[in-house]
Amino acid sequence: MSALPDRRIGVYVCHCGGNISDYVDVDRVIASVEQEPGVKVARTAMFTCSDATQTEIVTDIQEQELDGLVVASCSPKLHTFTFRNAAKRAGLNPYQYTQVNIREQCSWTHTDDHEGATEKAIRLVRAGINRTRLTSPLEPLVVETSQRALVVGGGIAGLRAALGLAEIGLGVFLVERSAELGGWVGRLGEIYPHGKNGYELVAGLEEKVRARPDVTVLTNAEVVGKSGSFGNYVASIRVQGEQGPETIEVDVGAIIVATGFDAYQPDEGEYGYGIEGVLTLPEFEELLSASDGPLELDGRSVRSIGYVYCIGSRQPHGNAYCSRYCCPAAIHASLRVADRGAGVSQYHLYREMRAYGEHELAFSESRKRGSLYLRFADDDPPTVIREDDGLKVTVRDLLTAGEEVTIPVDLLVLVTGMVPRSNDELIQALKLPVGRDGFFNEIHPKLRPVETVVDGVLIAGACQGPKTSSESVASGLAAVTQTAAMLKLGRAELDPQVAVVNGAACTGCGDCVAACPFAAIAMTGTNGNALAFVDGAVCKGCGGCTPVCPENAIDLLGYTDAQVRSMIDGLVAAV
Amino acid sequence: MSTVVSPELAERVREAGAFDAEACMNCGVCTATCPLGLDVLPRRVFRYVMLGLEDRVRDESETVYSCLLCRLCEESCPAGVHIAENVRTLRRHLNRSLYGLEV
Repeated sequence: MSALPDRRIGVYVCHCGGNISDYVDVDRVIASVEQEPGVKVARTAMFTCSDATQTEIVTDIQEQELDGLVVASCSPKLHTFTFRNAAKRAGLNPYQYTQVNIREQCSWTHTDDHEGATEKAIRLVRAGINRTRLTSPLEPLVVETSQRALVVGGGIAGLRAALGLAEIGLGVFLVERSAELGGWVGRLGEIYPHGKNGYELVAGLEEKVRARPDVTVLTNAEVVGKSGSFGNYVASIRVQGEQGPETIEVDVGAIIVATGFDAYQPDEGEYGYGIEGVLTLPEFEELLSASDGPLELDGRSVRSIGYVYCIGSRQPHGNAYCSRYCCPAAIHASLRVADRGAGVSQYHLYREMRAYGEHELAFSESRKRGSLYLRFADDDPPTVIREDDGLKVTVRDLLTAGEEVTIPVDLLVLVTGMVPRSNDELIQALKLPVGRDGFFNEIHPKLRPVETVVDGVLIAGACQGPKTSSESVASGLAAVTQTAAMLKLGRAELDPQVAVVNGAACTGCGDCVAACPFAAIAMTGTNGNALAFVDGAVCKGCGGCTPVCPENAIDLLGYTDAQVRSMIDGLVAAV
Repeated sequence: MSTVVSPELAERVREAGAFDAEACMNCGVCTATCPLGLDVLPRRVFRYVMLGLEDRVRDESETVYSCLLCRLCEESCPAGVHIAENVRTLRRHLNRSLYGLEV
């Protein structure tokens, strides 16, 4: 083992107001680690993240001339940036600080074993100190950013985002897979809540987008690849050229994915789907928009309509989520029916109605105008049959004391929800994070709702999860703001905790190139003299390359092999 | 055995006067406040009318006539259903359809 560098490290162990100290003996943790080599300051704090304690840390760093910081409190997800900033304020390089999680990993998980939780905390803090002892100052990588963005998907969210980007002074490539812009909304007639016409809304947007010289619209086009890094991506787009398909490349700083959703398609026989007169919600909306006056289906007058809610949503063995747009959409459709002439009986068969916000008013309105709502139990769904005298739906109505009733209807609407769109090629090309439900994932549902873990790749609209058109537009514009915040500065700072190659040890075998999921490593030089080269701007610091190198020639800054080994030593040593 | 739903009963009841219970959301405040503790009146009987379950309405005709029309339920109804008016209409309908009386 090489001689330990002479370090001056401050260690702060947090009570978290009892969240930690009710189970972990924080004083014992301090007593066990304060004699570790290099530790100059070791103390506990009631709330380490409080302004007062942060100020204390800053003062300690400056007065004691500390060159390393260990905070043992909660998850690094929560406070890494808090303490990196504290270090920065004190003049300490933020990468010489280590977060140790003794709340989620000790006190919260071992509430029944105070002794065990305390010992584990001691080991983790010791590992943190060992890692910190081997830190060196790192500086963020600075890259210049392109002043153009790519929008994938020409539905209402993508169109509005493209227009927003152009208005803010960024060049835009808008890529749409189908032949026409407009997406779902562009095919709809009157849409809730204000009865505006979807087709007209989208046509107006499209006109504005096409009028902008700074927006390039590509239809019949698909994104098939992405290289480069945040601020300087090169996107490969397959377009229909005059001589068949060809691939073009565009330089963009950021990518907004607004690829929308698919409508849930019931299986044959699911709630009678496939029987004459049984339609999905989109099919029914198409029928409503196709004519005026009293409603007809296949030339016959419709006098009675049934609606069955939550088809394909909130299923115990299928899509567990609520599609949230369908309740308001079906209520609104029933009001449109009522507007077209009295005398149509409408029966809504539901599990729970979710008419949130102002949709509640439409729900009340529809009841006042004669729609009857019948509630069925989750495990007792309605059955649908067609007999000689017509279509019939039978349901046990919980609102009529569980009475089983049969409703003859001329038309039955299956109120279908949204499902993720099949986009495997795009997911592969952009490395999009996909959630368990198949929709794309944001970093933080509240505070970073349109950014993904891939820097400079944002999501907007219903590709992220079921949304109404107004919610989709709002998220499209949020993505515009985030894109502008990243690109308008003209430069971006990237995390310097990336892989580096020791050129003297590299034999050019290429194993690391194959191991990298981000295509950040390339071989340079000629055959026989090849060397691996890591593009720090592309590397995510995942560490996937380091264990495969047969020569140990590749290391991850911030988590070097030496650091990880020293952490293991700290974990396994006796307490 | 399930009963067949029809809008026709509600239409006939309305010939006897105002009947409006669509706003009812089945919260049960009416049943809870009823000084007679009438179990099926008003909300369940109103559902029978709206769904067109005529036999059920006939079965409960005695309850419809037992109501005191005190309007305690109506005062408490969060959906603003005119319960007493509905009961009066229902009685007129039953007078006609059950007893052949024109009042």
